[in-house]
Amino acid sequence: MTVPMQREQDAAHSARARRLRAPEGTRGVLIAIVALALVMGGAALVAWLLSGAVAGVFPKAPPYLILLLFVPLLLVFMGAALRALPWLGSWSYLLPALVFLLAFTALPIVLTVNYAFTDYNARNLGVGNTALKTGVTLSTDRAKLSFPGALPDDAGTVPKTLSQYLDCLNPICAGESVVLYDAEGSVPVIASIASLSGQTLTLAAPVAPSFVVSDATRPNRVRNVGLSNFRSIFARASIELVPVFLWTVTFAFLTITVNAVAGLVLGILLYNPRLKGRNVYRTLLFLPWAIPTVISVQMWVALLNQPYGVVNKALGLLGLAAVPWLGDPLWAKVSVLFVNLWLGFPYMMTATISALSTISDDLYEAASIDGASRWEQIKSITLPLLRGSFTPILLSGFAFNFNNFGIIYLLTQGGPPVAGRTSTAGATDILLSWGFNTAFGSNGGQNYALASAIALIIFVLTLAISLVNFKVAGVFEEARR
Amino acid sequence: MTTQRDVQAPEVYVHREAGPLRRAAPWLVTAIVVIAFGALIYLLARDMAGRPPSLTIYRVKNGWAYFLGFVAVASGVLALTSLLGQKLGERRSGKRVRYLAVLGDQLTHLFLILVVLVALYPLFFVVLAAFDPRNSLYAFPNFQLPTVLGRSGILPSFSALSAENFAKLFDGVNIPGWEIALAVLAGAATTVLIFTAVVRRVRKASEDTTPVQRWATRLLVAALAVLVIFIGPAQFTGAGTESKFLLSVRNTLLVSGLTGVLAIVLSTTAGYAMARLRFPGRFQTLLFFIFVQMFPVFLGLVAVYALMYGLGLLNSFTGLILAYSGGAIAFNTWIYKGYVESLPESLEEAALVDGATRWTAFIRVVLPLSGSMLAFIFLNQFIGTYAEFILANLLLTGVEQWTVGLLLKNFTSGQFNTKWGIFAAAATLGSLPIVALFYGFQSYFVGGTTAGGVKE
Repeated sequence: MTVPMQREQDAAHSARARRLRAPEGTRGVLIAIVALALVMGGAALVAWLLSGAVAGVFPKAPPYLILLLFVPLLLVFMGAALRALPWLGSWSYLLPALVFLLAFTALPIVLTVNYAFTDYNARNLGVGNTALKTGVTLSTDRAKLSFPGALPDDAGTVPKTLSQYLDCLNPICAGESVVLYDAEGSVPVIASIASLSGQTLTLAAPVAPSFVVSDATRPNRVRNVGLSNFRSIFARASIELVPVFLWTVTFAFLTITVNAVAGLVLGILLYNPRLKGRNVYRTLLFLPWAIPTVISVQMWVALLNQPYGVVNKALGLLGLAAVPWLGDPLWAKVSVLFVNLWLGFPYMMTATISALSTISDDLYEAASIDGASRWEQIKSITLPLLRGSFTPILLSGFAFNFNNFGIIYLLTQGGPPVAGRTSTAGATDILLSWGFNTAFGSNGGQNYALASAIALIIFVLTLAISLVNFKVAGVFEEARR
Repeated sequence: MTTQRDVQAPEVYVHREAGPLRRAAPWLVTAIVVIAFGALIYLLARDMAGRPPSLTIYRVKNGWAYFLGFVAVASGVLALTSLLGQKLGERRSGKRVRYLAVLGDQLTHLFLILVVLVALYPLFFVVLAAFDPRNSLYAFPNFQLPTVLGRSGILPSFSALSAENFAKLFDGVNIPGWEIALAVLAGAATTVLIFTAVVRRVRKASEDTTPVQRWATRLLVAALAVLVIFIGPAQFTGAGTESKFLLSVRNTLLVSGLTGVLAIVLSTTAGYAMARLRFPGRFQTLLFFIFVQMFPVFLGLVAVYALMYGLGLLNSFTGLILAYSGGAIAFNTWIYKGYVESLPESLEEAALVDGATRWTAFIRVVLPLSGSMLAFIFLNQFIGTYAEFILANLLLTGVEQWTVGLLLKNFTSGQFNTKWGIFAAAATLGSLPIVALFYGFQSYFVGGTTAGGVKE
């Protein structure tokens, strides 16, 4: 009688101990991932459902309500998960960072990949097609919607019937939806359609009494178009993708080489302990790095102006002609490299100085006893020893400049335009700014899907660069420790 | 994060003569670089050959010859003074001083002075233009002036300088008395900080902060925080966009400060767990963090825009800060993890033995020890956010939400009403906070160049 009870107690005890201790190996990882996915996904789902319910009752409820609902729900769900699996406790330290990373970095990446295969653009952005909005009247039972006026034309073609206007798949639009707006037009409300006859729609459910319907339009549809975005990029690859890619690589490579050479020369000169006033030089040459790039790059736009800029005025003193710094395809490339040199050399100089200060003086002493000249010392001591600390800096600098879109956009906006290319891919456009212009440029057609396809190509390239980068810097070894 | 990949075995050193190709490689690379530069200069010179001289540029015929002559003469003078210096040095120290070493130092000075002039003259010119109401950034030079520098327009006439451009930036700004008092308080704290820093530099005192400095810093931060929170768009009644300058500074400080705080909150907890706790999925999560860090936020610009549109957070600081937050986590978590690993574990263990939980050990023991790291994370994030343009440009559409960068862009992008004088004034004032931070915390950034090898 006592033995089974003892056994039962032992079993209960060891079960509790097992719950406190994490399961080993892959099983533990999988359980943790599933539990966290359930916690975060569940909280997100419930928040989404709740915010939908609130929006049904109060049409004016702000859309970011879902974020406000998500936080307490996440706490509740995580509390429940901790009660069931106490060994998940360590994860609660990571949860805030993880949520932010998933929501505002990983989710955009996933969405971008998704958009790359659709026809998403400015015309079908948002819930309803606001360009085709038209005035409607609601019947007294709030379930019938009539379109009194002529239907607005859609890119030159006047829709003949309401069904065509609403872009329905079946003639009576059963199961399709219509988007309603109040007079202010800020909050769209989706209503599903039961049937259609002539110019009148019958809605599946009456509109909420608090909502005053003023306009209606068809819902936007983003369609899956497969690989056609990529097809249109590669069809014009020889005039856009390839030149832009080559310039991106050239830009990143030349920038980092020129900056590194300038930084090395200045750093080695300034590390010389015999040199008087080297701290003054260091402090002064530090200044271009200290000024926010968003300000200094715009400053250079004024300084590099062809007829009035001070750079050409100074060159005039040397007897040189006025250079079209930002107006000529070749010179614009030179300008971008030059301004990037001005922005970046203090960083390289400082990196050189702090790397040099880790080299022991004994080496130089031994070398000078052996009769090595200063140049021989630099060649066979300084440079080889700098290689270790410079390789990761150079590689990360390459990766950074590969996507260094700020300077291009602020200095030349990718221009000047090149004959034969679309205006979104100018002479100094790198891949990222080409994508940006396609999506948001003033003459890019706001083709979000095409921009996402370009971004996907950049993803792949960035991934390759970063993997090499991390391999060299030993990041994976450090992570495993 | 050192890259000690080729660890030498502690055995006998065997000298291996490098092959001829290996020995020739540096020279080959140098030759290729020199040839490439030569070709580039030839190409650019050929490109310039057919272009007519500009009417707005004052040209000195063969000015480059004068410049080379100046450099040659200066080098000659230095050769003579080096001789003098060598003799003086030998007499004073009694040791043999090599003439070439002295000459090398003198020529280095000449070279460095030229570099400093070329690198910093643009900044000097912009600051001068800020005080020049006649828009000297974009002026037609006056060919009648007496000096060559005046005629070419690279030095504006100093007599006409005034603070008119700055006055326009503060046009129609209503600031109540208590805000002025707070600003004065902040200014006084800054003065105290600068003064004590200078005194310490002169006395070569130790690096520890004194209580006076600590209180001045706290006062400064508190006053600035209150000002940034309470200054609002309603106080800016001027007509032009330039009168919103102070508001844009406040917006930038608000966004950057909150992003910095968010970065600290998110990355310290995550970094601590990564460094000290062992749990299933830790390595995989670290890999995920590293993976996500590879992609800058603006690769997913379209999606971020769509996300913020869907959440109704376009044109709001919340949306912008949330968009920045994703990029602020991975790198900072990584460096904080490295920092915690460098701390001795015995302190936490002592606290745990005394009955503290992990969380209290983290809050009470580890966080107070990581003040310098927290400051680095905050400053790095703050400065990075201050200089960010693309996301802000995309998400902030209303003038009252603009950051400094957006406002400056507005001054210069109009086709006919580019306000370069006002731009220069705003650029000067707008970069002051960051320049002050950089010089105040110089050691953090100098150390950061090699610490954060993974990211720029």
